[in-house]
Amino acid sequence: MTVTIETKALTKRYGDRTVVNGVDLRIESGSIFGFLGPNGSGKSTTIKMLCGLVSPTSGSASVDGHDVVRDGDGVRLAIGYMSQSFSLYGDLTVDQNLEFYGRAYALEPASRERRKREVAELTGVERFADQQAQTLSGGWKQRLALASALLHDPQVLFLDEPTAGIDPVARRDLWDLLFKLAGDGRTLFVTTHYMDEAERCTRVGYIYDGDLIAQGTLEELRALPGVNAPGSVRYFVRADRVMTAFARARSLPYVRDVTIFGRDLHLVVASDVDERRLQSDLAEAGVSIVERIEPSLEDVFVALTRARASVA
Amino acid sequence: MRRPFDLRGFGAVLYKELIHIVHDPTTLVLALALPLLQLLIFGYAINTRVEHIGTAYLDEDHGQIAVRVLDALRASQDFNLVYAAGSREQLHELIVADKVKIAIDVPPNFSADVVAGRPAQLQVLIDGSDSSIADVALASASSIGAALSAQLDPRMSVTPQLIDVRPRTLFNPSLRSANFLVPGLIGVIMQIITIFLTALAIVGERERGTLDQLLVTPIGSTGLMLGKIVPYAAIGFVDFLGVFAAMLFVFKVPIAGSALLLLVLAIGFLLAALGLGLLVSSVARSQLQAMLMTMGIMLPSILLSGFFFERDAMPWIMQLLGYAIPLTYFLEILRGIILRGAGLAELWPSVAAMLSLGLFLVIVASVRFARTTS
Repeated sequence: MTVTIETKALTKRYGDRTVVNGVDLRIESGSIFGFLGPNGSGKSTTIKMLCGLVSPTSGSASVDGHDVVRDGDGVRLAIGYMSQSFSLYGDLTVDQNLEFYGRAYALEPASRERRKREVAELTGVERFADQQAQTLSGGWKQRLALASALLHDPQVLFLDEPTAGIDPVARRDLWDLLFKLAGDGRTLFVTTHYMDEAERCTRVGYIYDGDLIAQGTLEELRALPGVNAPGSVRYFVRADRVMTAFARARSLPYVRDVTIFGRDLHLVVASDVDERRLQSDLAEAGVSIVERIEPSLEDVFVALTRARASVA
Repeated sequence: MRRPFDLRGFGAVLYKELIHIVHDPTTLVLALALPLLQLLIFGYAINTRVEHIGTAYLDEDHGQIAVRVLDALRASQDFNLVYAAGSREQLHELIVADKVKIAIDVPPNFSADVVAGRPAQLQVLIDGSDSSIADVALASASSIGAALSAQLDPRMSVTPQLIDVRPRTLFNPSLRSANFLVPGLIGVIMQIITIFLTALAIVGERERGTLDQLLVTPIGSTGLMLGKIVPYAAIGFVDFLGVFAAMLFVFKVPIAGSALLLLVLAIGFLLAALGLGLLVSSVARSQLQAMLMTMGIMLPSILLSGFFFERDAMPWIMQLLGYAIPLTYFLEILRGIILRGAGLAELWPSVAAMLSLGLFLVIVASVRFARTTS
């Protein structure tokens, strides 16, 4: 596999504040890289450096073989970028927005028309061609933004929280589209706060306070030493009275962590405790299912973040 | 990083801006109608009062009485004797080139005539462009003449006076204040519209978050900048034509010089005003900031450019500040061409200063713009 995006010790400082601190990334072509981290952790700054919008303080980065500092033009032609807020022109129609970006990428009139048609079909925005972009729903606005970013047929796509604030169905549809694009051999770099989206990515990176504290496939991340504290295991518990179960679990000396998921709890407990003991200790809450589970991606990040925060 | 002076994407940005303008007819109508409205309101409403008028003199007499007359003029608050001319031609040129507003000619044998008790004429040439200056100069020169006559010969205190002040008003003989104010207003109004439009058009892009999306495309910084300002420069020029027409046909201010030259130089002024707008847009982070900064430029421009107050009468530091304002030069050009019929021969210092200042502003703004966009 060829590496499409590579950064070495990529760093951005504003004054004496380090926003991105020595990030090393290797992203293979045709993959979807999920980039996660809390707000203000350096996600957007990293994307902006990779797109040539922000110049790195030190370190290097290359995208599709183009150095982001020395060959900004090469990078701009190779990438499509979708920012986290709607960044098209609301007063322009769908077709006019596409026309503008087609011209911005200096596409010849004939190929411009062809590409406009192709991306409008692919994203489904062709039926709104003559509608002002500001009248579209959130999901359709994002599809239009994606269509604009695809006009010049870039091999790499940077999507900064593409699904923020859109409804679940639109979210699912957009992801289907992203898979289709990756299936065509494009490399996608996506930031998100949604764990279910992150779990669908080929590989995931987690940035916290400017440091990339983990990257790898889901399996690799689950196996990280910090995720499963030595001598502890994870249980899934379903209870009729979840708050009672929560309060009870917290009072048990061998329970190290409790998280509520709707009617369910995730427990981290000492590894010498078995299902039967949990079942009986939580009986008063009406426990129906107790099951050993692997950590979810969210568990992974919570564990990594806490470990990090306790060091700092 | 982006290359400087990269014109790519100009057509694309122009295409988009024109659609923005067409989709927002209210703003377009306001941008075109407000200047006219302002011209009508101000043109009818404004009046001013002056002192320390720049004055040149020619002493062809070299006698005692001539010295007394000139001393009396110096002692008055109204005149500021700044030039001693060598000939009548030079005296006239000084007025046309707007070096002075008043030129006083003490003819040969002036002292001899006065001593002999014969009425002697004192020629006072007045630049009538600014009617308020002309009024003050007229009244003041006459009263100085009367006072001196009375001192020299108390018996002859009624007309004909011993010192016979003969005022001659050049350029705007009917002394209408509209003739002076309206050309200045054209400059002021064009500057307001142009700075606002450019500053807001670019800052708006930043505020809407669409600037980043533009900057990931291969659009060059110069292409982006020009594509954004050309439509607004065009609106500014249409505004100019509108208020120019209103000046000619509503206020009936005749144009003494070349209208073509004025049109060409108006484009030069637009360049400078756009440069200021760009500069604002490269600094301001929000439209509110841009508005406040524009106000911060507008007020000194109006006050220091000589639009309201005679620049010669200002403290030197304020005069110096005035030189940094493009409007100062454009006002001189407007008044020079419209009122005094001046051409490039007389106006070239102002023209050169305005164009270099405009070019300087545009270059500084482009460099700043390229930096904020890379």
